[in-house]
Amino acid sequence: MLQKKICMVGMFATGKTCLVQRYVHSIFSPRYLSTVGVKIDRKEVNVRGEPVTLLLWDLEGRDGNHDVNPSYVRGAHGLIFVVDGTRRDTFDQAFDIRESITSQVGEIPCAFAFNKADLTDEWQLTQADEDAVSARGLHVLRTSAKSGTGVEETFQWLADATLQKTGA
Amino acid sequence: MTTIAAPISIDAFGLTDKGKVRPTNEDHFVVADINRTVDIRWGSLSPDALINRIGTNTAHLLAVADGVGGGPDGDVASERTAAAVLSYVGSAAVCFNELDTDREHELLGALENTVLEVHRELLSEVSSPNVKAPATTLTMVLLIWPRAYLIHVGDSRAYVRRRGRVQAMTRDQTFGEYMVSAGAWSEDQAMKFRTAETLASAVGGSEMTPSVGLIDLEPGDSLMLCTDGLTKHVTNERIEEVLAMAVDARTMTETLLADALNGGGTDNVSIIVARGVGS
Repeated sequence: MLQKKICMVGMFATGKTCLVQRYVHSIFSPRYLSTVGVKIDRKEVNVRGEPVTLLLWDLEGRDGNHDVNPSYVRGAHGLIFVVDGTRRDTFDQAFDIRESITSQVGEIPCAFAFNKADLTDEWQLTQADEDAVSARGLHVLRTSAKSGTGVEETFQWLADATLQKTGA
Repeated sequence: MTTIAAPISIDAFGLTDKGKVRPTNEDHFVVADINRTVDIRWGSLSPDALINRIGTNTAHLLAVADGVGGGPDGDVASERTAAAVLSYVGSAAVCFNELDTDREHELLGALENTVLEVHRELLSEVSSPNVKAPATTLTMVLLIWPRAYLIHVGDSRAYVRRRGRVQAMTRDQTFGEYMVSAGAWSEDQAMKFRTAETLASAVGGSEMTPSVGLIDLEPGDSLMLCTDGLTKHVTNERIEEVLAMAVDARTMTETLLADALNGGGTDNVSIIVARGVGS
């Protein structure tokens, strides 16, 4: 079966682990526990009639002082940049993080997840921010690990894009 | 003859103790070095040039397993699980060199399958569906410097100390932890209910869901694996204090065991400490 390594990256506490937990196990935990190193989950999906195993590498969040460990993203087929929609600073650094990763792994399909979309009262991002992502040719979706909004769509889009990229 | 030395040596030590209350010890642990040696008998090649081509030649297996008490043969389950992992790692030693992404996933998948096979064997050996199978936790690290691969089932734990800070790499797979994670219980509530300690996942248990992870270590980092006989009596702050001591892994391990016993020693306790020491 085809295997695709997908890396979840972004600043700390943006909801990377929660998105994976929602997608793989259909659960949501409101408690925040920071990820140490990498947590790896697996999910089998069907992409255009082809079974594919997604290997989801949930990387510890960047804390501003330390870059994403390049060896964690080595060999990745796709990236999900997770932004906390209620913390503008997590978006401000997203393009920098992406640039440092693409310098390691090259141009690979990536999606931006504007997460915590259920917290509408605290939302700090604008349509212009979404447009800025789209203008770079990147996929962007509002997601909520709590409600499940946009989660399946984000992973499915990326799975499809990784297959298109390899021509599989 | 030129022998290529590993750039980092691993100072590791482990021990187990039945504690002060339990009549027997149902824990098992293993600390093992798996070596693949390249001895160059004659040649003009410099070791510095070769080290990058040959890569690391040693892997280190660290594992603790806590046989479930109150059930049958917990000690058998913990021993068989630790032995199965050691057996797999020993036979697969040739694969450790320069793992690319695909081979890395193969290795993790094979480790998970090894645990799954023991789980199935334990379940298949019970005489009726109403009889509990022997069950155990497992927390294991396969260290191929600098990468530490982690497989975790149950409520034994792995910690890493980096830059003065100790962090848990594992989440307890217990009913209480799941209830707290789901927001159904507060941490205080979980402390009050005895059912909170019930394993939600165990090798040989009714559910078995290994959690898989990894971390790239840096010189000076420490890893500590333990069964819950330690964490019932020793706080995270004390663990942090001991792992910060300027002593070897053996002294750290013995100090933590003494703390667990002085704190009551109500359960079997197993501890492994490992740290990368600069060349």
